[in-house]
Amino acid sequence: MSLADTYVIFELDRAAYAVSSDSVLHIDMLDHVTPVPNTAPAVDGVVFSRGQVIPAINLRTRFGLERQTHTARTRLVFLKVQQRIVALIVDAAREFQRIPAEAIRPIQETLVGIQGNYVTGVASLKDRSVLILDVAAVLTLDEISTAPVPREAILPPT
Amino acid sequence: MSSSFSPELRGELLDDFYAECDELLTAIRQGLTQLEERVGKRESTASFVEALFRHCHTIKGISAIVGLRPAEQLAHVMEDLIRAWSSHPTLLTDDHLDLLVVATQRVEQIITAHRTGQGTPSIDDLVQRIGDVLSASHSTRQAAATTRELPPTSPTSTDSISHAADPSLYVATFSPSPALDQRGINVSAVRERLKAIGEIVSATPVVLGKGSIKFRFVVRLPDGPGDLSAWEADGVLLALPESAATPSLPAAEVEPSSSTATRDGDSTAALSLTPSQIVRVDLARLDELMRITGEMVIHRSRLEDRINQNGAASGLKEISVALGRSLRQMREAISRVRMVPIAEIFSRMPFVVRDLARESDKKVNLTLEGPQTEVDKYLVERLREPLLHLVRNAFAHGIESPGERVAAHKPVEASIVLSARSEGSSVVIQIRDDGRGVDFVAVAARATSLGLEVPGHLDAASVMKILCSPGFSTRDAVDLAAGRGVGMAVVANTVRELGGTLKLDTQVGSGAVFTLRLPLTLSIADAIIVSIGSELCAIPQVAVNEIIQIDAREIRLIQQSPVIPYRGGLLPIVKLRAMFKLPEASPERVTLLVCSTERGATGLVVDGVRGQREIVIRPLSDPLLHVPGISGATELGDGRPLLIIDPIAITQGVVRPPTAEHDLRPSAEKRSA
Repeated sequence: MSLADTYVIFELDRAAYAVSSDSVLHIDMLDHVTPVPNTAPAVDGVVFSRGQVIPAINLRTRFGLERQTHTARTRLVFLKVQQRIVALIVDAAREFQRIPAEAIRPIQETLVGIQGNYVTGVASLKDRSVLILDVAAVLTLDEISTAPVPREAILPPT
Repeated sequence: MSSSFSPELRGELLDDFYAECDELLTAIRQGLTQLEERVGKRESTASFVEALFRHCHTIKGISAIVGLRPAEQLAHVMEDLIRAWSSHPTLLTDDHLDLLVVATQRVEQIITAHRTGQGTPSIDDLVQRIGDVLSASHSTRQAAATTRELPPTSPTSTDSISHAADPSLYVATFSPSPALDQRGINVSAVRERLKAIGEIVSATPVVLGKGSIKFRFVVRLPDGPGDLSAWEADGVLLALPESAATPSLPAAEVEPSSSTATRDGDSTAALSLTPSQIVRVDLARLDELMRITGEMVIHRSRLEDRINQNGAASGLKEISVALGRSLRQMREAISRVRMVPIAEIFSRMPFVVRDLARESDKKVNLTLEGPQTEVDKYLVERLREPLLHLVRNAFAHGIESPGERVAAHKPVEASIVLSARSEGSSVVIQIRDDGRGVDFVAVAARATSLGLEVPGHLDAASVMKILCSPGFSTRDAVDLAAGRGVGMAVVANTVRELGGTLKLDTQVGSGAVFTLRLPLTLSIADAIIVSIGSELCAIPQVAVNEIIQIDAREIRLIQQSPVIPYRGGLLPIVKLRAMFKLPEASPERVTLLVCSTERGATGLVVDGVRGQREIVIRPLSDPLLHVPGISGATELGDGRPLLIIDPIAITQGVVRPPTAEHDLRPSAEKRSA
């Protein structure tokens, strides 16, 4: 076995995703997200973390999945990507795992839907498959705000 | 610099040196600008020349202390040139001023190179040119000779005074020591004592080897020094200026190994020591102080909440209020410490314009208004590039060629005005030109050809948005901004990051005004806490004129926009619930905050007012959170973010649909209607 990077594994809609642990700052329970008006649909709002105001992105919305009420297992995964800090709201997250590079295969297009654009590969582990998430792509601004809020909609005429 | 300084001391001294050079170079640039305005006019230039001379002299002295010989030499020849003016004002010409401008830039380059550890730019060409100017003038032949090589002793203004035949002149040399310091005798005490019995002509620190220092005072003591031994006991040696005992050049004490020290004994290394109470502080230390104060503010608000909830013992409330007052004073004090005049940036601009003018045939007169306006140091640093860009923009795009100006019946000399003023807790900076103005249609056409999105309705705000989009540039802008990494996009980003607004007012043919409005202080502010639905929000108190409650039936619709009668007129109102996409509440009584902006007052409808609080402002730095109407977030101690609403953005049409903008504006006609 050669190189094996550490990943943080989290769950979303019964699928397992992995992000490189290098980009993960910390993982928190979800307490309260303050909604921010007129942001992209996937941005649920902001949370405080260590003195900073961090956008919380709902990964379900981002992937076009159905929203889910937050549970005790819901987690905020704080990521640092290209100088930005963001938090992803995921269904659950609890483990670190080493994934050897040779265990990761390119994705087969037929396997995935919207999220296919944000997955760089699939890792086959003993008991399951894990999708390797392209964090930078998930946070790409143009894509997040695909549906820009029209100016008129910001303050609808009353 | 002498190698005997410890690395830490060296580092600190160098920081001081760089800071002082920055100040002096700023002062020199200002002086040159003022002088330039007076060249050829029958106005006295003596005071400006004298100030310039003094600044160059100080740069020379402090450069010598840190061993930065090129800066020292260049400052020295600059000094010679300036001295030539003071005796022969006719030598004061534009060409010579230009030379001095170039030399000032070179000194700055040398210092920057020293700071960043790069190679020192050459000064030979400038020394040669200044030397030529001086030797061309008969009267300054001697001064020219000194420019070739820095002489071991060169007369300075202070020394020439001391050599004058004045029997009441004495030289007092004070050697500070820890023992003396314990007795309360330090250089300030000595200065005070000398002042009490006479007049201090000059004061010079003399740096010796091993980092020790002496202070040499030239004093005029009409009644003599009195008991010499009493002075001596306090570490002060008094002597006549010409006396052999004069310790002004304490050759014997100089470390022979230190070449700097030898020069330091010379008066060319003199650091003019004006009585000053100024301490230089690293901005990071003030940031730290502000951060801690911010935490204290939050702790105090938690304390207050707890006291209010529990109805605690009567005395506690009073203590909490007193604590709050002290904290407020503390943050105001820290904010004041951070303030510097915006002249730090403004004073550069005449040179920018001069450089641009040299490369083109445009004639431009740049006026600076309100350079003394004080703003946060951090703001000054952040605004440096944006303002530079706006001024370059005004020159390159705003100002027409002389031919076009004549054809348009305008004076050939164009005008750019850079102004700053403080308005409440904001600072307003404007760049105003009398050029061709911004042609909305042309900008839109250009944007379309670049494949940018262009809104159907063109107004100043939407054109501003196009100008500020990252992909937008005109052909000229590419040339000008190339390699600078600055553009309108950067200007807009910086302004937004600083929590400010950027506005364009223009009229084709008569010019353009770019207005930057920025908060004076960045970290802590007073706010009104309001509830909107289940969320709390903060609204900066400075924007709020008053909080009123009205009967819901008073709300009327005029052209689909809600208004209420207010002070004999109509007040447009904005329902914050709508902004948060909440269903409309229909209470019987409506609470609103009347906010005033440049465009008039607007009422913000909220669900409730929770009170007034001091809040710590945290920026929303992530691009995902750059939404109009929200300027930041804060917390009240429970770890939940609270959004800070920006009433100016909400009421200024940034958030308004363009069609409704006119209707919402509380114009005079409408009010009287």
